[in-house]
Amino acid sequence: MNNLKFNLHKLVLALLLLFGTLLAEGQLRKLVFSPQWLPQAQFAGYYIALEKGFYREAGLDVELIHPSANLQATSLLASGKADLISLFLITAMAHKEKGLELINVGQISQHSAILFITKKSSGISSLGQLQGKKIGIWKSGFDEVPKALMAEKKIEVEWIPVLSTVNLFTMGGIDAMTVMSYNEYDQIINCGINEDELNVFPVADYGFDIPEDGLYCLTKTFASKKAEINSFLKATLKGWEYAANDKKYAIDLVTKQMQLAHLPANKVHQEWMLDKVLELIHPGNKGGEYGVLQETDFDKAVAVSAKLNGTKPRFSFGEFYYSPLK
Amino acid sequence: MKKGILKRKTLASRIIRNVLLFCTGLFLVTFSIYYYFTRSTIQQTTQENAVFLADNTANRIEQILSPAEKIPEIIARMLESAFLTRDSLIPFLRSVLAANTNIFGSVIAYEPNYFADKQYFAPYLFRQGNTISATMLGNENYEYEFMDWYQIPKMTNAPYWSEPYFDEGGGNVLMTTFSVPFYTFREGKRVFSGVVTIDLSLEWLTEIMSSVKILDTGYAFLLSRNGVIITHPKKDYVMNHSIFTIAKENGQPGMREVGRQMIQGKSNFTSADFKSKYHSGKLWINYKSLPSSHWSIGVIYPEDEMLASLQKINLILLLLVVIGLTLLSVFIVRIINDITKPLKQLAGSARIIAAGNFNIPLPTIKTNDEMEELCDSFTYMQKELSEYIITLKDTTVAKEKIESELRIAREIQMAMIPHIFPPFPELPQIDVFAVLKSAKEVGGDLYDFFVIDGDKFCFAIGDVSGKGVPASLYMAVTRTLVRSISDKEFMPSSIVSSLNKSLSSNNESSMFVTFFLGVLDLKTGELSYCNAGHNPPFMIRNNGEVFMLEKTKFIPVGLFEDFEYGEASLRLEPGDKLFLYTDGVSEAENAGNVLYGEENILKVIQANLEASPRELIQCMEQDVAFHVNGYFQSDDITMMTIAYNE
Repeated sequence: MNNLKFNLHKLVLALLLLFGTLLAEGQLRKLVFSPQWLPQAQFAGYYIALEKGFYREAGLDVELIHPSANLQATSLLASGKADLISLFLITAMAHKEKGLELINVGQISQHSAILFITKKSSGISSLGQLQGKKIGIWKSGFDEVPKALMAEKKIEVEWIPVLSTVNLFTMGGIDAMTVMSYNEYDQIINCGINEDELNVFPVADYGFDIPEDGLYCLTKTFASKKAEINSFLKATLKGWEYAANDKKYAIDLVTKQMQLAHLPANKVHQEWMLDKVLELIHPGNKGGEYGVLQETDFDKAVAVSAKLNGTKPRFSFGEFYYSPLK
Repeated sequence: MKKGILKRKTLASRIIRNVLLFCTGLFLVTFSIYYYFTRSTIQQTTQENAVFLADNTANRIEQILSPAEKIPEIIARMLESAFLTRDSLIPFLRSVLAANTNIFGSVIAYEPNYFADKQYFAPYLFRQGNTISATMLGNENYEYEFMDWYQIPKMTNAPYWSEPYFDEGGGNVLMTTFSVPFYTFREGKRVFSGVVTIDLSLEWLTEIMSSVKILDTGYAFLLSRNGVIITHPKKDYVMNHSIFTIAKENGQPGMREVGRQMIQGKSNFTSADFKSKYHSGKLWINYKSLPSSHWSIGVIYPEDEMLASLQKINLILLLLVVIGLTLLSVFIVRIINDITKPLKQLAGSARIIAAGNFNIPLPTIKTNDEMEELCDSFTYMQKELSEYIITLKDTTVAKEKIESELRIAREIQMAMIPHIFPPFPELPQIDVFAVLKSAKEVGGDLYDFFVIDGDKFCFAIGDVSGKGVPASLYMAVTRTLVRSISDKEFMPSSIVSSLNKSLSSNNESSMFVTFFLGVLDLKTGELSYCNAGHNPPFMIRNNGEVFMLEKTKFIPVGLFEDFEYGEASLRLEPGDKLFLYTDGVSEAENAGNVLYGEENILKVIQANLEASPRELIQCMEQDVAFHVNGYFQSDDITMMTIAYNE
């Protein structure tokens, strides 16, 4: 009998402990975040913030999910599977224009990473010489800025949509290609083409230094989780700061993520990407703060949209961007 | 004895050292030439093997890739010539797959909207286990017109071997796709209409490549057109890395350059300008491009393994050389010992002979060479030396006898001249000092002085012609004669004339003597003298005046019996001194044959005007000794000083 009583005490104690931990867990507020692409160094800051517990310290229980070829980040956002996503500024504006009620809650990238490249052997050494040439461009988006630039410069080109490799360019199937400085450019270098064999035309050099990756959520999510989103942005920026100070750790973490996703992980390329992405995050001589979208940049993006669609977006800066940092 | 060992050692070691130095130098030169040529031969052979190996491997791969290329190319021609109808495509592809077991799958993909009724028309047949399945490619999630396998041949109008990839549907094996564009005629124009592909599994490729064995740790690897590692012994690299990312990761720009050469389709055998993480030594690489897919085979040769046989030979060679040189050293030591053995014996004998033992037998040497000649000479020398020494001994005995007699003669001679100073303590008016230093045991110089009648001081100095015993005898005669003559005669001229008469008669040996004789009247200071061919003495007046008495016009005594000698006189004042000497003083020579001279005598006198006779002569002796400076004395030296006091 005594024995049973004792066991009962034990049971109660165990239950109390169990509920205690559950309660403690419950105090963390859940957020689901999805970057706009598969794991790579472009998102190192998020992985670090999660791994190093910056989110947890901020009172957040963040779950990181990734989109797939068939399920884009915007779909995850629209369906509610993700509270927050990372998205290209121009892409986000297009989605908002189409009716997806999203808002920018943080501008991670401050610059444009888009470059036009040609092989020096092609003899094309100025943007103007691209007139009538075949230019490879991402089929999956990010095409707005290069197209707007060519339209402004009144250079007519034949856009050739490409999926994800640089082979069409290296094989000579096209005359030029649009690349991200942190990604395809290095892929080309890693195919044995030397940097001095390429001519590079950054869109930023032609007045199109438009920020790219930003943080987005649905308007209604922002209304209910403003504090959490604020904490998320702060913790994320902390994660990026950590990445800048310990690149080796960042790369190890990224490659681990890539291996988990069964992606071929190439350290050298990821190192390149991290360096370039960190450059993009730095406001640089443009001024402004980390993580903040400048109205001038918004205006530039609006101009690009107007150029391509013929009409201006129906929303203002204030309607598009709510800074939780304010 | 110790010195002897040391010397013997030096001779042998010197020869060994020189021979070894020369041999080593010779070996080094020979070895360098040998090494250079052998090395380049090995390199050349390795290169030939490497080229052969790479060609062979390339051929083995080509034997599969090249025929596979033909299939889509033929299908493309058939489509172009409208040989195949749309409905026959699936059965046709099925039969193609059935006939070609190495083909995993094949697609005939038409341009989107080629057929009016369908956006996509792309029958794809592929193996599933043992069966061949058929499906249609192309939908909104798989827009094949943007895939490399379709887009690249379309845009480049050329067949295209895709970058190898892991096929997730086909059992995750390494695959590649070969695509050929096809064209059809529409409205009379040849227009691009689609792409025919075959999928090939590359499992056999890994097998072929890993079967390539080079030396111990050498290996082969295969690069795609983008430089991606298709096969490599290190599995992590495969499909994860390109040669360019590896080069960057390891900081090896040389590797990147080789990679560029490789993907540009070049072939070469070269010393690798990069290091491997897995092999510390220098590497060589041979690369060759595949004609079909333009993939490139690289073969790595570790240099140390490549030259391992050479190193082994080098080691053996070195060992042989060391043994050879050691044997040579031993051989040289033996030869030298053989050669120097009689020499050593001779040396030993010579030492004994040198010690005075002339009768020891010399070693018998019958080598019939220089050594025997040397020994003969030695024997001759021993004999001659022995005889000589005997003669020498006799001579020495005789000489010693003579010397002893001469010594006695000298003592006698010296006893003949006064040698106690002051000689006349009872005569304060006179102070005399004199020395005589013979050049040989006995000399021909003389001096003498004595008192006649109690107040006449007679003194003489002379120098007999010639030296040695004859001169000394002549001197003794002269001295004796002077003493006996002066018993009867008091005039210097009479004494000298008498002396001359006595000496000249029976002077068979024609000897003569220069002679100065003076007689000083101690009461008056009157000095009368006769100078027979002698050096004129110096007069030192009490007032410091010094002068030489006039040169004589009389010949030395002993030459002509009837020669008449005259005399001169002068008065001495108290304090006056007279310095007499023989030519041994004025003609004292130094090593430079410079004579002492009368000027120097004068100088010494003038420097010592107040000196006593003894002091003056001592000063003169010192000065002469200083002038001569140890040079041998060739003539007797005699000096006499007379001081006249009140």
